[in-house]
Amino acid sequence: MTGRHPLKGLGDVWDAATAPLWALRIRHPVIWRFACSVVLTSLALLGTYFVDPNTNYNMAIAASMSIVILGLSFLTGASGQVSLGNGAFMGVGAFTMAIWANHHTTTPIAVTLVISLAAGGAVGLLIGLPATRLRGPYLAGMTITFALAFPNLLTLFNSWTGGDSGLQLPTLVAAPQWLVDLLGPGASALAPDDMWYADICIVTVGIAFFLMANLFSSRTGRAMRLVRDNEVAAELAGVSLPHARVLAFVVSAAYAGLGGALATIVSNSVSPSTYNLSLSITILSLLVIGGMGTLSGALIGGVIFAYSGSGVTWIVNQTGIDPYGNLATNLSGIIFGALLMVTILIAPFGIAGTTKMLTGRASQKRRAARLLPSRS
Amino acid sequence: MIKVSELTVAYGAVQAVRQASFVAETGRITAVLGANGAGKTSLLRTISGLVRPAAGTVELDGTGLVGRRAEDISRMGIAHVPEGRGVIEEFTVEENLRLGALHGKGEYASGLAEQYEQFPVLKERRKQHAGKLSGGERQMLALARALIAHPTVLLLDEPSLGLAPIVTADLMSTIKQLCESRHLTVILVEQNAKSALRIADRAVVLHVGSVVADDASSVVAADEGLRQYYLGIAE
Amino acid sequence: MDGFLTSRILSDLLYGVTDGVTISLVALSLVLIWRSTNVLNFAQGAMAMFATYVGMGLLSYNLAYWWCVLISVVAGMALGGLVERTVVRRLYGKPELNPIVVMVGLLLVLESTAAAIWGSTARSLPTPFSFEYWQIGGKPFGLSPFAVFEIIAAVLAAAAIGALFRFTKIGLQLRASALAPEVSRLLGVRVGRMLTLGWVLASGVGALAAVLVSSDISGLTPGVMDTIFVFGFVAAAIGGLESPVGALVVGIALGILDAFITDFWNPNYVTIATLALLVVVLMIRPQGLFSKRIARRV
Repeated sequence: MTGRHPLKGLGDVWDAATAPLWALRIRHPVIWRFACSVVLTSLALLGTYFVDPNTNYNMAIAASMSIVILGLSFLTGASGQVSLGNGAFMGVGAFTMAIWANHHTTTPIAVTLVISLAAGGAVGLLIGLPATRLRGPYLAGMTITFALAFPNLLTLFNSWTGGDSGLQLPTLVAAPQWLVDLLGPGASALAPDDMWYADICIVTVGIAFFLMANLFSSRTGRAMRLVRDNEVAAELAGVSLPHARVLAFVVSAAYAGLGGALATIVSNSVSPSTYNLSLSITILSLLVIGGMGTLSGALIGGVIFAYSGSGVTWIVNQTGIDPYGNLATNLSGIIFGALLMVTILIAPFGIAGTTKMLTGRASQKRRAARLLPSRS
Repeated sequence: MIKVSELTVAYGAVQAVRQASFVAETGRITAVLGANGAGKTSLLRTISGLVRPAAGTVELDGTGLVGRRAEDISRMGIAHVPEGRGVIEEFTVEENLRLGALHGKGEYASGLAEQYEQFPVLKERRKQHAGKLSGGERQMLALARALIAHPTVLLLDEPSLGLAPIVTADLMSTIKQLCESRHLTVILVEQNAKSALRIADRAVVLHVGSVVADDASSVVAADEGLRQYYLGIAE
Repeated sequence: MDGFLTSRILSDLLYGVTDGVTISLVALSLVLIWRSTNVLNFAQGAMAMFATYVGMGLLSYNLAYWWCVLISVVAGMALGGLVERTVVRRLYGKPELNPIVVMVGLLLVLESTAAAIWGSTARSLPTPFSFEYWQIGGKPFGLSPFAVFEIIAAVLAAAAIGALFRFTKIGLQLRASALAPEVSRLLGVRVGRMLTLGWVLASGVGALAAVLVSSDISGLTPGVMDTIFVFGFVAAAIGGLESPVGALVVGIALGILDAFITDFWNPNYVTIATLALLVVVLMIRPQGLFSKRIARRV
């Protein structure tokens, strides 16, 4: 076969091998997603056994933040609304976890996580219901007002929320004995705890992302995208605009609460100064950089967040800035804010989105080339 | 005098105007006729600078206009009364006129007096918000606002739209009178071909962006074969 | 009479008006930008704060307070023009989401940069007016020299802006560019420049508000405009984003409301009450109280 590129043969083999997977993906999407979630989660869990405690800790942080970002991604990417209050919703979940754990020490972690999720969703409903009639800037403004009111809310209930110093988790969320035994006596003191946190977060991420993927492709998800793109068409199609909007808001707030609860577990404490407006803006920034409306984008954003601290430290070391000075403390704010602006102006689809666009074209070209007669 | 040469205007893949060429003489009314979507409005918007052409030139007495901004072309003495008149409803009649006079020639006070003389109804309603005016009154306001700047070229996009026949007849004779007294170059885009042909000296007929006729108005009016293009019956 | 003048009610009213006046200025600046370019500038407070730092930074060079005020306002205007030309220009015609996100990013950048350059500790400014409340018959009256200065400055600024828009040729063109940009271009108005000018004026007003707020006892910090910005937004939204009069009226009303809540209840309730008020008004009349346009449909 003259004139045929050698690698094309490999491409044919690959396509033949993956054909049944494609069939599964198209005909039974839910099973496909379930299988993917299980496989990826298991691989990640396996990974936590082998990596060092520091990496596990960072993975836990990345995971918890990626859930928050995913929630915002659903709101913004799927239904086109901007919320600047998701830092506060994260705080709702974080404080719910801490307060509940302090008063009911025997509740299993999974249950407390669900409670925190519900708390986030409930507050989201409170804020989201009036927001249904509002246009973009008004909604964003309302969420910013909520973000500002949140610390005041915490102070008002300071008997529950511990005032300025926040709360600690009662019993250090410790790794169960079987895990400690698994790692053996050679491991450092922190290793089992960090691995345990990472595992909790990874499993939660697996479940949360699976559910979100299904929601995104479901009729509800499609209805929301229709609301985002063309309201008149949506109304004609019988979609209830207020319902769709409130649902998106509640889901994003619930996910933020879940992420906040996980963050509390990982750091074993919660403090009000963490959940401020700056955090809300950072979440938005991570979402945009990672890629709105994509699952992988949320994961990328989470990882960036987890390593942003070390990233800033690296920059500080390289450039010789005073690590205790004002510039070093505020560098992450400057960088995230600048990245947010630049990304929207230049590459609005973020890392994941732009990659999808580029590889999508490449694989489309390959498939098209195979369908057309080859030149000899 | 406005000279249009090989003008091509495209919106994305759609060609609204294809290699159109014609001349609108000074002191004459040139009617531009054609069915809906024939490219008449695009043509005017390109002359006044709101739209950039893909190819071709537009000249005002020998000076090229393509590539200049609309606000600069306006200051060169080209007044464009857009489709729908473009009267600013939230402004009073007088504020609309003031705006028109800002970047024109001549003194404001005398210019204002001149327009009030030409259109007494505007003087009566000068403190009223333009949104309260009738269709005919708005048309007068739009005209006055264009004229107060003492332009040399007047581009009119469907001035008779939505007006009763009597009002249209009045309007057309006013346009003719103004063109003669001020020696203007008038390009008149109209769906109401009959009224336009009555006052025009020359007529250009557009069909799907191309010029299919460019002749004295009496010749175009008499040509039965051309009627299909501006009465919108052609396929 | 004495009793009334020093009464709690009148005091609260006067505190409220003093606070409300700065809220009104911020609300006014937001309305100006919204009307001219259809953008809700989330970075308005941060831009004003930054300009104030720039102006007040010159105090260390022994420049008098009044010069620093002037420079702060001019810096604010320059920053506004710069942001419009470089950033906002690229956003016209794009989805509604983009300007919100970009301005929010700018907010973070400006606040972090200000903290990086000048630190987060509060700086007190050498305001030539005393903060001591006047006394009538030994009891405090709700105004101090500084409060009177605030009110007068704000009233003058708002009046100047109003006069500019209503009575000058530039004002006519500014209004025309906002209402009918295409028609304005056909009449020779340089609409692009008018849009930039709109931002310049609005940012000048915002910077004045920041100067007034920072000159107060609590001083200048990178986050000093955060709360006022939100209140300004709420006032503008309740009044109707298109209505400058609404912004001023509701701004003062909001200040008065907040003063009463702080006095009779608990300061922590202020932001919550403001949020609740915003929610209630927007549910009943989504286009705002003073707006003449049609309601925002769902």
